[in-house]
This record gives sequence, C-alpha cells and structure tokens, in this order.
Amino acid sequence: MVAYRAEMVVWILTATMPLVMLALWNAAAAQGPLAGFGQAEFARYFTATLVVRQLTGTWLVWELSNMVRTGSLSPQLLRPLHPLSLNLAETLAALPFRLVVLTPIVAALLVWRPDIAFLPAPSTLLLTALSTVLAFLLSWLVQGLFGMLAFWLDQSVGLFSVWFAIYALLGGYFLPLPLLPPMVRDAARWLPFQATLAAPVEILLGTNGDPLEALAVQLGWVLVAGALAAWMWRAGLRRYGAVGA
Amino acid sequence: MIEVHGLSKTYRVPLKEEGLTGSLRSLFSRRTRDIHAVADVSFTIHQGERVGFLGPNGAGKTTTLKMLSGLLHPTAGQVSVLGFRPQDRNPDYLRRITLVMGQKQQLMWDLPPQETFELNRAMYDLDRKDWRQTLDELVAMLKIEELLDKPSRNLSLGERMKCELAAALLHRPQVLFLDEPTIGLDVEMQAQVRSFIADVNERFGATVILTSHYMQDITALTPRLLVIDQGRLRYDGPRDELAHRIAPERRVTVRGSQPALLPLGLTEAHGRMVATVPTDRVNSLLGEVLDHLPTADLGVEEIPLDEVMGRYFRGEEGS
Repeated sequence: MVAYRAEMVVWILTATMPLVMLALWNAAAAQGPLAGFGQAEFARYFTATLVVRQLTGTWLVWELSNMVRTGSLSPQLLRPLHPLSLNLAETLAALPFRLVVLTPIVAALLVWRPDIAFLPAPSTLLLTALSTVLAFLLSWLVQGLFGMLAFWLDQSVGLFSVWFAIYALLGGYFLPLPLLPPMVRDAARWLPFQATLAAPVEILLGTNGDPLEALAVQLGWVLVAGALAAWMWRAGLRRYGAVGA
Repeated sequence: MIEVHGLSKTYRVPLKEEGLTGSLRSLFSRRTRDIHAVADVSFTIHQGERVGFLGPNGAGKTTTLKMLSGLLHPTAGQVSVLGFRPQDRNPDYLRRITLVMGQKQQLMWDLPPQETFELNRAMYDLDRKDWRQTLDELVAMLKIEELLDKPSRNLSLGERMKCELAAALLHRPQVLFLDEPTIGLDVEMQAQVRSFIADVNERFGATVILTSHYMQDITALTPRLLVIDQGRLRYDGPRDELAHRIAPERRVTVRGSQPALLPLGLTEAHGRMVATVPTDRVNSLLGEVLDHLPTADLGVEEIPLDEVMGRYFRGEEGS
C-alpha cells in the first residue's frame, strides 16, 4: 500500500514543471516586464498553470498504449464497464489526492509572493470551472487518441511527444501566449493546444478578452476529439490482437 | 447455446525485410503474409457441458477462445453465445461470461484481492447480499480465507491463480472460458483447481470450455473434446471414443522386476513389467502371465491421454 501511494507522489511531483518555468521567467523578467509580464504576472500565471495542470492531468496515453501492446487491455474488455470509463473514474478518484499535494505548493508560492493573491469574481470562477472541465476532457481525449494509435503502431507514445512539444510552445505551458509573435499567437487561439491549458488559465486571470469564445473553441475541439476517439476505438478493437496470455 | 459456424481468423503480419534499405522499402510497399490462425471451424456446445480444446502450441485454441469470449473479431464466420454476438461485447453478455487467462488478469497488483472483489461487485452491479454469499462460497471452495487482505503482489503464483478464479466467478457467469487454468501450478494445486472447476460446473450449472496442456485437466474435467490442429477442427466428440480409436490397446502391467515374464513379451520399465497389446489379447495374456507366475500383482490400464494425443498429432491413427 505504501509503495502504491509513493508512486503516485512521484508522478504528481513530476507534473510540477510550471515551477521550473516560473523560476526561468522570474529571472528573465528581473530587468523589467516582457510583453507586459513582470515578475508578479509570471508568478501568477505559472501558479495558475500549475493548478490547472494538476486538475486536468492524465496518463491515458501511456496506460492505453501499454495495455494495447502487452494485451493487458483484454481483461478490461471483458468486464461490463468500458475500459475508458474505468480510466475516467480512476482519474477523477485521484483528484482529492492531487489537491492534497497541490495545497502546500500553492501556499508556499503565496508566502513567497503575497502580491499574486487575488479574489476572482464568482462568474469568473464559474467560467474557469467550465473551462477546466473542457480542458481536462480534451487532454484526456487527445491522450486517448494517441494511446489508441497503439492498435496500429508500435511507437504511439513517441508521436504523442511531438504533440507535447507543440503544446509546450503553443499551449501556454512553457510561456504565456502573449509572449508569442502576434501571428502565431492569433493562430494558436483556434488550435487545440491552448484549449487544454492556456484557456482556463487566462479565464481565471482575467487576461482573456473573450472567455465565451475560448469556451466555444474548447467545446468544438472536445466534440471533434470525442467523435474521432469513438471511431478509432471501434476500428482499433477490430484490429486488436489480444496478445499475451 | 454456443453456435459456431465457419469461424476463421486470419492475421496479416508484415514481413520485415533485412537491413536499412529493406526497412526503407517496407515503408512504401509493405509485404505481408497471411496466417490462418483459425480456419472454418464449426461446432455447437450445449448448456452445462464441459468441453476441452486440445491441440499443439499455435494450433488456434486460444484464438478460438478469444473469439468466443468477444476479445477478437472473427475474420469470417458466425459466432453466437447465449444469443449474443460476442464481439459486440454487450454488457449484458459480459455479465454472463468470464474468461480466465493467466494469473495477471483482474487482481490489482498493489492491493489485496478483497479490493478487487469489491470493485467487481460495483462493476457488475451485484446485489451486496448475493455477492457476499457467492464470495463466501468461493472463498470456502478455494480455501483463500487468509489471502483476502494480503497485497496481491505478495501472493504466490498458485494463490494468485485461486484469487483470479474467485474474481472471475463472483458474478456467477453462465459460461466459463478457461485458458490454461492450471498452468504453472504444482500438482496439488492443479488438483484443487480442477475439482473446483468441476464443482462450479455442477453447483451453478455453468458451461465450461477450457484449453490445457495438461492431459490430466482434460481427463479429469472434459468428457467432450475438440481437437484443433493448424487452425482446423480435427475431432469433435467424446474423449473416450477418440482414445479408443487412436489407441485401442491396453497396457498389461505386473508389479516388480520379473525376468520370468520376458519370454511373454513383457519388458521392464520403472520397476514393473509392461506389455501393450490389442484389447482382444488382454485376457489370454493375463492367463499366460498367471501360468508363469501365479502370485503376479496384475494391472490393466488404458493408454494415457497424452500418449494418445502424441500419436494423433504425429498422424498415427489406430488400427
């Protein structure tokens, strides 16, 4: 039991990359603000990023591709609960634990820079909550899609790292979107990458000029990814070899 | 109950060409080869039957089992189990069957079996009272009382297998697909699992379909045999009938080393004298042995099933 819990702590700590990015940008902004981002704005942005990442985190791509390649998907396919529903339930069940890990980190950040604290309006909180749910669904579905590629390919996780690299740049993970060149930034608004992270972060911080449009883009991508996932799942199972014992 | 008609499964496997040029070429034109794992197999199995799938490695037994349970989509042919098309994996179908394949199926590695049993209760939406009763029954039959709260990774292979069986049967499935249910177990544990399977069949009236390499499993459990070889169904019928057809002889044995019997054609093996003779010769040979050795400790045996199957797969049909 202890080993089980310890593994989860390690997983969750590796998801604290926003703290590393915060340290980098904090140093870069020491001489003055970059594209309107001073040290306080960077601190606030990456704290919010950390929170959203924790609340929307999933390992579906690794779990699914691993299950397909080793055949451990088989027993799950023969239970009356859809394997993806099971994964969804497991991911949601881990949420309280993630909050427990998150709270002291956020508290420490607030002690370090008390000026990043702010009280969002109830309507902002509501929109942020909606946007976070959509961000979670989209990143879960995207990871599911890459995981399902394992029905056809050996290197599905490798392809996901290509997605992740683009996401890191255009999704608001390595840098806030306003720091991108204007043309790239405008294009990124419509892409799925920011819909999994930057959208809820910017809505929460009030830096998104049109929250409803951001939500609509998110919803659109969730529907596209959902339809694609449903189709790929059916096609993949027809190909599934159920290897292994 | 189980209707299979013209069932086939063909795998298309890519042929890997050697060297870098070969790898590059295969990016554009992939050469593939078709492997007919199961080819045009048909049979019917009735409620409550116990049937054994028998065949050499790679014969297609497990592939057939995976198609019957719904894991694999057939390439051709129809399968109907309990009126369902297995590959649709209708939840109502999955609630009525179970597939046991190896010891790392359902048990959650880091948690005790009890947790898996609880999860299954929720997943199969079982009534708590029924679940408790079935669990108590299974725990008693398998003698796993002390294992329930140990983390699964700390269990031995045999202990894990027994807990897997309990997890697989909690929802009282009407059809049990068992792939090598006794593999890797010691003789004592094999016997326990075998009698457990027979018990489940008798008490719950469940249909049992199993594959095994251990002929004792087949001898003890399945009166009906389906012999699959190179993807084709070669025999479907009573186990004893096949044995009689392939190996109509009997084995006459006499305890101890008895050189006096050598002239009668008996040879010494493992501390006893043995002769394998046609059935109609048994009585006269017994008479001759007693003439030579009135105190002989005699025995007459059938040819063991693994020897029968060995002959069968080598293509040696009986006389």
